[in-house]
Amino acid sequence: MISIKNKKLALAAICFLGFALQGSAQTLIGKTIKVNLFSSTPVEDIKASSNMGTAVLVTQTQELAVQVSIKSLVFDKKLMQEHFNENYMESDKYPLAKFKGTIEPKIDWTKDGEYAVSAKGVLSVHGVDQPRNINGKISIKNGIVNLDSSFEVTCVAHQIKIPRLVFAKIAEVIQLKVSGTLTPLK
Amino acid sequence: MNRHKLFIYLFLLLVIIAMQASAQQVDSLLKTMDNSAKFNTVESTFKSPHIVLSHSTETQKKHDLDLRIRHHFGDIGGKFGGAHTLYGLDVATDLFIGFDYGVTEKLTIGIGRSKHDELYDLYVKQKIFQQKNDGGMPINLTLLAQVGLIARKPFATDEFSNYSDRLSYFIQPIISRKFSSRISAQVMPALLIRSATGDVNDPENLFTVGFAGRIKLTKRLSFVADYTLVNGLSRADNLATKYYNPLGVGLEIETGGHIFSLNFMNSEYIIENSFVGNTQKSWNKGGVRFGFTISRNFSLFKSKNKNQDTKSTIY
Repeated sequence: MISIKNKKLALAAICFLGFALQGSAQTLIGKTIKVNLFSSTPVEDIKASSNMGTAVLVTQTQELAVQVSIKSLVFDKKLMQEHFNENYMESDKYPLAKFKGTIEPKIDWTKDGEYAVSAKGVLSVHGVDQPRNINGKISIKNGIVNLDSSFEVTCVAHQIKIPRLVFAKIAEVIQLKVSGTLTPLK
Repeated sequence: MNRHKLFIYLFLLLVIIAMQASAQQVDSLLKTMDNSAKFNTVESTFKSPHIVLSHSTETQKKHDLDLRIRHHFGDIGGKFGGAHTLYGLDVATDLFIGFDYGVTEKLTIGIGRSKHDELYDLYVKQKIFQQKNDGGMPINLTLLAQVGLIARKPFATDEFSNYSDRLSYFIQPIISRKFSSRISAQVMPALLIRSATGDVNDPENLFTVGFAGRIKLTKRLSFVADYTLVNGLSRADNLATKYYNPLGVGLEIETGGHIFSLNFMNSEYIIENSFVGNTQKSWNKGGVRFGFTISRNFSLFKSKNKNQDTKSTIY
């Protein structure tokens, strides 16, 4: 039988241990994640790109989150960029596109190597959440993690409406490529 | 037994704390790295550099060339309208063809030619302030300077006795604000400097104040209107000819790089240098007319973009 005082002490000790453990769980962040957008139709190929995506990875839980500000995507035609923001993505209302999920299978983050992985989670674009399982590649070198993934986003699934008049120019399924480097958070 | 229980509880507590902490950490870290607030400029207060009759605060995008064709038909009703002119459609009181070119994101130059007076116009338009959505700048401010040259032959021998009599200048600071994604409003004081007027009582310099607005009905369809207050400001009201304040309303339809506007207005003429001082038709007396604008935007110098990640191709 332990006294109340001892109980409190033990609780405090274990809480402390908990925080200490959490501290040791490696967190990595990336601030210059590259996001490429590609729409292809027989009439027109449209490309846009941003290198202002951000990402967080917690190695212990294998949680991964990536977000990109819609307005950071650059098109070569500025009028097209304006239409992208105003008419399609409504970026004033929905400024971010985001993915949050868990990486599978379990990886030994301390070992260098390349891993084909998939991330199961939720993709939020244009304010519409879609459960997704996104395939990608993770490579680890000296504790630095490289992320590389290509996937597709269907406009209809995220309630992005394309009028019939410009149907021929904009693909119904947009290709996305997300790549970048994550370094340990200090 | 008790001790075991305690350890189980404490272990569970530890797991919960650790799990919560990591979930919170992802969200809070993500939030601190959210850079979308950097993009705080308010874009597209109006869809186009022109509203119905007047200029808007918008300028052309850099290296974009806009071909603009405008048409004002004849009076719908009254003495000159009705079925005999198919409600004005037989008549073209003014035609205009012009180009607007974005030298930079903020500076646009434009040239145009109107049927009325064979007027050639040249304008320079510079964006000074752009509205910010974080409270830093509540308005857009754009400066416009437009010069008009009347190229037609004189109607009387003493008209245009000096070549400079053919010139007129229109100077206008334009102030606008996008109140919401649907509603934008604009106010624009202006000075029109004319070289000669038909009436000795009509001052050569006219001070005017314009008002304009947009209500977006759908993403691609807007109701637009502008009104220019001319009478009652610097203009005498005992003129031999009756002049009216120009009012235009229209529907603006945008599809990709095209803008179509279907307009109704009482002003016969298209360019400020002509319509501000010379609108002789009234909305009340059948003087309203139909007009349209067709605008097509071309992006120039695309081959200068060497970045493969943003290079678009039209087949």
